[in-house]
Amino acid sequence: MDTSLEHTHEIEPHIKVARARAGVLMLIVSDALAVLAILAGGGYLRALNTEGQYKVAGDFAPAFLPGLLVMIALVLSGLSYFWWERRARKPRETGQTPFFLLALVLMLAAGVAETWIAAALRYGIPIHAYESVQLLLTWFTAVHLLLAAIIGLLLGGRILRGRLVGHEFIAEVVGYWWYYTVIASLLMWLFGMYLT
Amino acid sequence: MSDTISSTTVAAVKRPNLINSLFPSVISGIVLGVAAAAVAGVLVNRMTTAFSPDSVPNDDAVTAAVYTAWVLFFFIGIGAFNGVFKWAFGRREPTPAEELQLAGKDQGLWRYFRFTTDHKVVGMQYLATVFVLFFFGSMGAFMIRLEQSRPGAIFFNPATYNTIVGMHGIIMIATTIIMVSGPFGNFILPIMIGARDMAFPRLNALSYWLLFAAIPIFFSTLALGGFPTGWTGYAPLAVQELTPGMDAYCFTILVFAVSTTIAAMNIITTVMVMRTRGMTWGRLPILVWGVLLSVILSLTAFPSFIVSQIMVLMDRIFNTSFFLAASGGSNWLYEHLFWFMGHPEVYVIALPAMAVAAELITVFTRKPLFGYRLLVGGLVGISVLSVIVWGHHLYTSGSENALVGPYMLDTELISIPTGIFFLVLVGTLWRGKIWLTVPMLFVCGLLVNFVIGGITGIYLADLPTDEILHGGMFVTAHFHFTLVGAGVFGFFAGLYYWFPKMVGKRLDPLLGRLHFWLFEIGFVGTFTALFYAGLQGEPRWSANIAPPFATPNLIASLFAILIAASVFTFIYNVIHTLVLGERAVANEWGAKTLEWTVPTPVPLENFEELPVVTSLPYDYGSPLPESPVTPAADIAGAITQAPVQPQVEE
Repeated sequence: MDTSLEHTHEIEPHIKVARARAGVLMLIVSDALAVLAILAGGGYLRALNTEGQYKVAGDFAPAFLPGLLVMIALVLSGLSYFWWERRARKPRETGQTPFFLLALVLMLAAGVAETWIAAALRYGIPIHAYESVQLLLTWFTAVHLLLAAIIGLLLGGRILRGRLVGHEFIAEVVGYWWYYTVIASLLMWLFGMYLT
Repeated sequence: MSDTISSTTVAAVKRPNLINSLFPSVISGIVLGVAAAAVAGVLVNRMTTAFSPDSVPNDDAVTAAVYTAWVLFFFIGIGAFNGVFKWAFGRREPTPAEELQLAGKDQGLWRYFRFTTDHKVVGMQYLATVFVLFFFGSMGAFMIRLEQSRPGAIFFNPATYNTIVGMHGIIMIATTIIMVSGPFGNFILPIMIGARDMAFPRLNALSYWLLFAAIPIFFSTLALGGFPTGWTGYAPLAVQELTPGMDAYCFTILVFAVSTTIAAMNIITTVMVMRTRGMTWGRLPILVWGVLLSVILSLTAFPSFIVSQIMVLMDRIFNTSFFLAASGGSNWLYEHLFWFMGHPEVYVIALPAMAVAAELITVFTRKPLFGYRLLVGGLVGISVLSVIVWGHHLYTSGSENALVGPYMLDTELISIPTGIFFLVLVGTLWRGKIWLTVPMLFVCGLLVNFVIGGITGIYLADLPTDEILHGGMFVTAHFHFTLVGAGVFGFFAGLYYWFPKMVGKRLDPLLGRLHFWLFEIGFVGTFTALFYAGLQGEPRWSANIAPPFATPNLIASLFAILIAASVFTFIYNVIHTLVLGERAVANEWGAKTLEWTVPTPVPLENFEELPVVTSLPYDYGSPLPESPVTPAADIAGAITQAPVQPQVEE
């Protein structure tokens, strides 16, 4: 191949926006299907109840109250992000940064709390199918929340340096992932409650 | 200047010295990855020993830590994250010079060993990897045929034989998944749609190097006791199997699935947003449709496979019970999660190959494609139906009777859109001026083999016949006719067709014909014999064949010698062409798709000015001066100057 090119061609701004939107949506579709597979798997094992061993006496669920608090924090984080993002998406506006910071802190706190909930699940061996599903749901949620928090930190770096201007679409596409994380985590938590 | 170019920047490129060239590169990646894997292994070994009540390390946890460290630090070492955090934190955007450096500017052949973002480099990396994996997979096949050439153990004990069969299966499945979408989807597809690169060039390089990182993990299974489950990795055997080779298998699948998912996201986004002006959905070349639908299927199917492997690893490392019946788990869960990926994966392999056949048949009959929209509809129909048929793999597993009827029906419905594919291709051949080149020979081979694979599939879709044939050699022969007959023949058709554009040299047509005939005769002979053995009742997964099946197996093994000869003929042809081959012209076949309008070798960013597309690229019935693209001056010139049937191969 000929690599003697001395010029780069910049991509048009609207294509940059479109590809960011499409890329994040693809990521969400893929991840949502993984979540769906876990939920379907959990429901399937519950329905089969193989040899009556799906859930036996002594099997327990993740702590309810901390889980509820995590979900409340997540919903508030989503709403706070939405409040900030509505303004930040508009050109020449940076949004109301405290709302972003609130969303980030809540997401970070939720991630840490969910990790603590997951780590506190000290199931005895053998871990039965019910507890296996709960373990997977809890850790899967924790990983999602921590991932969203890391993305939020990176976005926070951009905002604090004032480099969101001209890249407002980043607030929008991070928002897609942010809202998806909230919804997916809520779904997994509700499903865990349903299994209980 | 085209509207798509908002500005052009002159880049002051720093010429790399030796140190800059070597680091970061695949060498630094391997060094750092291996070192980190060793450290992680020692640390986790000590930690698990310390926390274990009986002071025994958790081998599965150690294996998991080693492979995680290998992948992560390999990517740090190869420079995949260089500049990413600066960009992510908004400290600064990459300069045009850095972009060009990353795209491999003036780095010669060494750019193929670096984290290079140019889609053509990534395409060539995929192509080289396909060659290597295909060679190893083929060697596995010949070892199998050698062992099965007569009854009794000849060379291998049953455990070694199982590992060889499993490795052959995984290598070939992975290779055929990337066979068309990897090399041609990366090199050709962006040019075909009039784009300068993929939507996410860094992700493109990432997807390839993830595949690369998975290869040593996979081959490490040999040193870790192998995996006795075969390519499907069925649980609970995968959970109960004590060798760490099974962990290596799970990690291979995870890394490969993530690589495929990233590639799928990138290709879908590229086709959605990077098409040039006038390249409407109704004007997309068929190859683009085939690859697009294939990767959409990947994106849909692979998450369940990823989840299944996470569950297996959890069962192995943390003693959970997703698949252990004694603790409320179920093997059926694995089978559902696996086959929800496993059946669409057949079409992940077949769709791009079918699209290659359709793409080429218009060029070599000099006719418009018969029923373009019909064919696109057929391919979409196959894609949709393929995700709802996985239950037919569980007929004999004791699944609910009420599900059998619907699964039989929807499996058989796939015959309709597949039949449309054949109708369109035969309709295009009808009264065409057929130019029987090497690519066209492989297209004809694909049509013959895929018909046999498709028709024999009907017997496996129907419960009454499947009850008899399931788990036998008939199934082996059927899926080889489908995956090799369509996937591999489609790949070779595409390779002989696009090789001149990708490499700048023309593969020797005489050796190409020899390759085709050896392969076709050997392939049909081998697997027809196995159809017969299957009908006689020979089971699969048996290391030693029983005496009643000796004759068909001997015939199959003798025909396999022809396949082996075809592989070596092909390797010789590639090496001979690279060293002594004739230079190719820009439009080798007088074709009308956009990749033939750019110079050979293809420059970085492909187009100086982006073309505007005004029609489908298959209007061979029209007078040649009517080019499907503008700007017309140089591009139409390239097309009109190309002979209608250039480079006669006799």
